[in-house]
Amino acid sequence: MRATRAALLAIGTAAAVTLAACGGSDDDGGSGEAAGPVALTLWTGFTGGDRAAYEELIATFNETHDDIQVTMEVQPWDTIAQTLPSAWGTGQGPDLATPNFDPNVIGRYLETDSLLALDAVGDGEDQINVDQLAPAAVEAFTVDGELYAVPANVATLQLYYNKALFAAAGVDAPPATVDDFRAVAQQLTGDGVYGLSLAERETIQMWPILQWLDGGDIVGDDNCSVLDSPENIESLTTWAQLVQDGVAPVGLTGAESDALFSAGQAAMQLNGPWAAPGYTDAGIDLGVAPVPTGVDGDVTLASTVPLAVSANTDHPEEAQEFLAWWTGVDAQKQFALASGFPPVRTDLADDPELAANDVVSAFAAALPSGRLYLQGVPNATEVDAEGYVPLIGEITRGEDVAGAAAAATERIDAITGCQS
Amino acid sequence: MSTDLRAGAQSSLKWILLGIGLVFALVPFVWMVTGSFRTEADLFAAPDRLWPATWSLHGYRGIWAELPFLRLIVNSFVFAGVTTLLCLLFDSMCAYALARIRFRGSTLCFWLVIATLMIPFQVTLIPVFVELFHLGWLDTYQGLILPRATSAFGIFMLRQFFISIPRELDEAARIDGAGHLRIYFRIILPLAKPALATLAVLHFMNLWNDLLWPLIVTSSTDMRTLPAGLTLFGGQHVIDHAVLLAGATISLLPLAIAFFLAQRYFVAGVATTGLK
Amino acid sequence: MSTTSTASASGARGVARRGGSAPDTGTTPRRRRIRWQPAWLFMAPSLTIIAVFIAYPIVESFRYSLYDWRVGADSQEWLGLGNYTELFGDERFWNALRVTVIFAVASVALQLLLGYAAAAALQRDGWFNRVVRSAFFFPTVVALAVIGLVWRFLLDPQIGLVSGLIERFGGDPVQWLQDPALALPTVIFVSVWKNVGFTMIILLAALKGVPAQLYEAARLDGASGWRLTRHVTLPSIRPALLFATMIMTINSLQVFDLVYVMTNGGPLFATDTLVTMMFREGFENFRIGYASAIAWVLFALILLLSALQLKLFRYRDVD
Repeated sequence: MRATRAALLAIGTAAAVTLAACGGSDDDGGSGEAAGPVALTLWTGFTGGDRAAYEELIATFNETHDDIQVTMEVQPWDTIAQTLPSAWGTGQGPDLATPNFDPNVIGRYLETDSLLALDAVGDGEDQINVDQLAPAAVEAFTVDGELYAVPANVATLQLYYNKALFAAAGVDAPPATVDDFRAVAQQLTGDGVYGLSLAERETIQMWPILQWLDGGDIVGDDNCSVLDSPENIESLTTWAQLVQDGVAPVGLTGAESDALFSAGQAAMQLNGPWAAPGYTDAGIDLGVAPVPTGVDGDVTLASTVPLAVSANTDHPEEAQEFLAWWTGVDAQKQFALASGFPPVRTDLADDPELAANDVVSAFAAALPSGRLYLQGVPNATEVDAEGYVPLIGEITRGEDVAGAAAAATERIDAITGCQS
Repeated sequence: MSTDLRAGAQSSLKWILLGIGLVFALVPFVWMVTGSFRTEADLFAAPDRLWPATWSLHGYRGIWAELPFLRLIVNSFVFAGVTTLLCLLFDSMCAYALARIRFRGSTLCFWLVIATLMIPFQVTLIPVFVELFHLGWLDTYQGLILPRATSAFGIFMLRQFFISIPRELDEAARIDGAGHLRIYFRIILPLAKPALATLAVLHFMNLWNDLLWPLIVTSSTDMRTLPAGLTLFGGQHVIDHAVLLAGATISLLPLAIAFFLAQRYFVAGVATTGLK
Repeated sequence: MSTTSTASASGARGVARRGGSAPDTGTTPRRRRIRWQPAWLFMAPSLTIIAVFIAYPIVESFRYSLYDWRVGADSQEWLGLGNYTELFGDERFWNALRVTVIFAVASVALQLLLGYAAAAALQRDGWFNRVVRSAFFFPTVVALAVIGLVWRFLLDPQIGLVSGLIERFGGDPVQWLQDPALALPTVIFVSVWKNVGFTMIILLAALKGVPAQLYEAARLDGASGWRLTRHVTLPSIRPALLFATMIMTINSLQVFDLVYVMTNGGPLFATDTLVTMMFREGFENFRIGYASAIAWVLFALILLLSALQLKLFRYRDVD
């Protein structure tokens, strides 16, 4: 029962011969021959409803570029997480990929030198115009002064509200400040309706916004948890109390939280542009408002998906040309109109076509106040899964906030390696 | 026994329990199929109904329009079918050696085979993926099929069956001058038909349903199997229930048809594997 | 049809038992000399595939578990048993171990109990029994991912059929998968629901193999009901019970798909099993070495339990 590499190759060739009749695919892995256009492979995790908009974008690129043809292979995010590290780590795999929906993952791939540092930067025709891209994303993708990815998309969260429920309760406008927010949520609660639909796990993060609104945060600049600071404990206590009072549900996933709002059983929800079509389909009389102003001004959650180039690609120039086009004015306008996502560029704010689109303009308006979740925190995925999400789960189920926050702080500090 | 009153009460209790079991076993599937024809608004408005208020095809329309459907089904059949056939051949050969030939190391081999069942498959993903890379088998049929072309479970099961076949049959054949190959093909395999049929169904079903493996090995849409291709419809943030249920219904349909056609034979077949 | 072939199979087994040993002993040395070679030829395809695609990767994963393994990195940091010592100090690991053991014990016990009950009730071969058997078996045919999806919807507090029915009859929706106290029992229920058909079929086969004379003899001795089951049926189907229990134990200790689809280990790690923890560490936190260590601890656990089960069922080979 031992396998040497030679044996492995031997049975490999034997089997390849016998199975040749089955017809293997002619996968060339993007190796560059001079003949014909350059073929680039792109792996993305854009499944579901938004996929069509990305596919149209790729089609447009291929139509307008005779010399470069991009093939997008869409697969679930967890499949990418299982295969891309090995693929890129062993010097193979796609030329381009969105390695994860979490921008913090960039650091993981840098540990194995898998990412190409993008140098085609500037305001020229085929260059990536960094100055015009969403600053939060650029900051997240820049490590030691080098840019390693561009935003494949940028989204912000806004306040969805159910106009019918608001009217029935006699509330005529969405809340404008965080205090209003809590008051309105309480006012709308009752008769089987929650004031606010909240999700704790497997979701786009909603709880960090609540903390930011109260001037709180999760991890500080020194990578140490600040959850046990007095203002954070006060904020967490306030919101956890609302949950226990039945103003918001306990323990939902993102999908369950969406279902609650779709069923007309919640008056408000913090969510991204992707949710709008589903809510309209479900027959909700939908309003989208800015997130209420917090004690330190406007703030909301921004999320961005990194689009990166393999360090081992044979076509670094063409790959970067593609990134430049993807983040360019025409592509972003097309994408925003098709998907409802705000453009990744800040210079499209005044575009009349985009301004006329309610969803796009609402979410684009929040871009300047958008903050990324756990940005730049070491091992952010673990901080989320082992520290923050369990904390929210505990305090909404009645555990003592100060104690739970102290325990979460200890855990998070161990994960980030904070020296306090 | 049937005249006994107490037995009568017992048997009606039995039927009631069986009836409850039936409802539990089947209602989820009814809900799945009818749910695939419901609109979101209908689903949210009347969660306690099993039947759509209006029938909507939007769950199926999207899937039909956006997937190379025929290709995925062919891939699924090639993957599950060819792998099952190879598995039956290789498993039965190995089981034959373990059950019918005395040789040094046979017990050790048997336990090594069984031991491979005890490690979670997920932990081997990365080494296997790297191997397939070096072989150049990613996104190919041989990459999909060959690593799966034998199974410890099948070897275990067939060995248990082969052991129960009387040795006198071998001896008689051997006196007639038959070698192992002949005994294996002419005596053991024909006698093992029910066990092989059962194993074929179990393998086919598991391979057809396998999601993780095809997702890892293939990356282009043209090489996907049906369940792997359907993962395109589960969005990260947004769930369209009808679409997901339609996908589940579609991937289940070929299996369900095969199951009900082979049901009689299958339930009988499993019943005759002679597991000791 | 099934009755006749079962009878012939069990009859054949009887013959093998009675007649097997006598001719064997005299001819063993000759056999050994001429037969070891064909054995390896017969096993070559399977063993090659197992060696290359299963055994070697498994051994490789053990190597990973001794490092802080980064896929594709040029050099790896050697930890020795560091991953294992960290694991034994990790409260998540002990939680996952507890969840896994509870899941395995509960689901194996319930599956055996319900599977046996169903098999005993459906033993006779009428058309009705056959339809009911098929219905019970059907969930086994369906992919775990589909089952997880469907039950997750069914149990959804807002749109699910179960909550809908509870509310119609005036109850409050139950937080099946949101309440940490209920999530694990709910997942166990769905797992049993799916797998009970498999157990039923295996035990049905065994029950049909029990010779009728044994029952008649026991009845003549005045045995009935539970005593008949205890002294005749259960001993006779012991080999099938062993097979079913072992396979179920191995599978349930490695439960992943169902949990991954239904709860992804939540809420508050209430359904976090060893394999979901392994998956999270390996593919979300990129700690391949640590994940491999979890797999090897699980392997040791399964090996131990399988050995115990073999001892408990006093497993003896006929061969």
